[in-house]
Amino acid sequence: MRLYEFEAKHLMEKSKIPVPQSMLIKNPDEAKKAAEDLGKVALKAQALVGGRAKAGGVLFADTPKEAEEKAETLLNMKISGYKVHSVLAEQFLDIKKELYLSVTIDRIRHQPVIIASSEGGIDIEDISRKYPEKVITHHIPVGESISPYLGREIARQIGLKGKDLTTVGAVITRMYNLFLKYDGKLLEINPLAVTDAGFFAADAVFNLDEDALYRHPDLKEMGISVRHELGELSEREKKAQEYGFPYVDLEGYVGVFPGGAGFGIAAIDLIKKYGGEPANFMDSGGGPTVENMERMIGLLMDNPKVTGIFGARFGGISRCDLWAEAVIGYLKKRAGEGKEIKPMIMRMTGHMEKEGQELFERAKKENPVLFENVKVYGIETPIEDVIIEAVNVAKERRG
Amino acid sequence: MAILVDKDTECIVQGITGKQGSFHTKLMLDYGTKIVGGCTPGKGGQEVHGLPVYDTVRECMERHPNVTCTSIWVPAAFTKDAVLEAIDAELKTVVIITERIPIHDMLVIRKKAKEKNVIVLGGNTPGVISPGKAKVGMLPESAFTEGRIGTVSRSGSITYYLGNTLALAGRGASTCVGIGGDPLIGTGYEPILKLFEEDPETNGILLAGEIGGIYEEMAADFIKTMKKPVVAYITGLQAPKGKRMGHAGAIIERGMGTAQSKVSALREAGARIATTFSDIPRLLEERGV
Repeated sequence: MRLYEFEAKHLMEKSKIPVPQSMLIKNPDEAKKAAEDLGKVALKAQALVGGRAKAGGVLFADTPKEAEEKAETLLNMKISGYKVHSVLAEQFLDIKKELYLSVTIDRIRHQPVIIASSEGGIDIEDISRKYPEKVITHHIPVGESISPYLGREIARQIGLKGKDLTTVGAVITRMYNLFLKYDGKLLEINPLAVTDAGFFAADAVFNLDEDALYRHPDLKEMGISVRHELGELSEREKKAQEYGFPYVDLEGYVGVFPGGAGFGIAAIDLIKKYGGEPANFMDSGGGPTVENMERMIGLLMDNPKVTGIFGARFGGISRCDLWAEAVIGYLKKRAGEGKEIKPMIMRMTGHMEKEGQELFERAKKENPVLFENVKVYGIETPIEDVIIEAVNVAKERRG
Repeated sequence: MAILVDKDTECIVQGITGKQGSFHTKLMLDYGTKIVGGCTPGKGGQEVHGLPVYDTVRECMERHPNVTCTSIWVPAAFTKDAVLEAIDAELKTVVIITERIPIHDMLVIRKKAKEKNVIVLGGNTPGVISPGKAKVGMLPESAFTEGRIGTVSRSGSITYYLGNTLALAGRGASTCVGIGGDPLIGTGYEPILKLFEEDPETNGILLAGEIGGIYEEMAADFIKTMKKPVVAYITGLQAPKGKRMGHAGAIIERGMGTAQSKVSALREAGARIATTFSDIPRLLEERGV
């Protein structure tokens, strides 16, 4: 979970990591005032996405009037689909040199690692490929804090001396402590700007483990809560997020109601493999509530692009009969509201499979028209046969 | 023999008095798993499905010294503590059903597990089943039949479909292992592959992996050394591209983590690659198992 730059820098400032003087701006008028206070400023669009500079999200202003105009431009722009939240106006830095510092978790060695380089800036990945010797990595034993000497040693290894060495050494140590304190996944300063006035974190990325957010109530007080990171959300994605289940819109017409996320990913591969185009990714596993199941199916039925739905249920936690009841109940309710029922080709297996099948059979007898296009296979039918049928039905209905 | 759990493996349930823990204890008992008791701090002396509840894992071990396996059904905030308690009490297999465990907690769990040579499955695993013998976790037993293929997968739902695919092909499994769907898990593929390689009742291995993370790539070196054939099913080849964050991951991991990089790494290591479930029985046959 990514923080806004201004949030990251606020936390860094509290940890005595040097950041430029700044003001957070929500309208052009505030930008004018900021420039009056700070002089020449860098105006930086705040969005939860990288590649900002390349997208034109950082502008410089020499005068308050210029700041006002440019802030307006930034406040109205989108970066990779993200709306700009606000603009951070920072005192302009006359940068002599750029360093790179980060702390992250090495998922190969399963240890935190500090990464540092004397060659910071946007080309750091190229540099690490071409000149690996210019990038220092230092792994830290799990569960240990670090002693300040280690920060100094890393500073020495990237070529610093004298006061620079002790200053940057302290920054590294404080970064590591901050990373640990808030259950960080990544804390990156790129670049750490070298100026005549000292070192400053010119840009900062701080990603936290959202699963550990519950133990940091002070972040909640700062307005930092779990947030979505997949670019601008469609209306359907917003709804799903509100209801609390993972959902991503795709381009196609086969609705996917797959059960667990792992099989959801497989279903997308298989639908494509058998000549169809999936309309969505969804995680409907783990035994969703009746209410959420209705919302899941509703999202797919209401999507005008969807011409048929593939559904699967492999009961690990919850029971097939309850699942069947929820599906049947929703379809009846929907028909009662006069809404369209699109074909559903499904497979249901697991705990109480027989009872679930009986419910579908009874529903079909009672409402042959309504359930005409609802098919539910059981454990004896290979899942791919069901996918192929769903693809064919959805394709046919598309004409 | 199977691996990890057998009909004689003595097991406990941590969080046995909770709703999920109690519900699945019953299903595990019905399947034949040898569960001897459970553990919930502060609830020692109670009974669940006729099994004694203890306050601590140590206490449980004093009464049942042959226990080697536990499953964890406690909330994420208490999972690290529960797992460390199990490892300290010298258990050998820990199955973490709980999902979304903080990453820094998992780092500690993984380190401890490695030091003490403990297999930690999960977080977010449906568990492990040796069909016809025992299951630890919440896998739907109807998916699995006895046979001679070992399966190992990160995703729970994929584990069920692998078992089901083998069953429908008239094959079946020696043991099916979910190593966990959380981003950072207690045990990678390699220790499980090693157990299958040494298991006389396993003839071949079916490995399932998915986009994200780097556990599949990490298994490649070991697969190169294996004598038993490996078929790998990797999902996510058609998944929409996610966004990347920061540079540090790219510097450390260098292009790993895509479905394609996993397919390449495993193919190079000698595994046959399945792209559908229906490929699996055919590829196993081609490899002579």
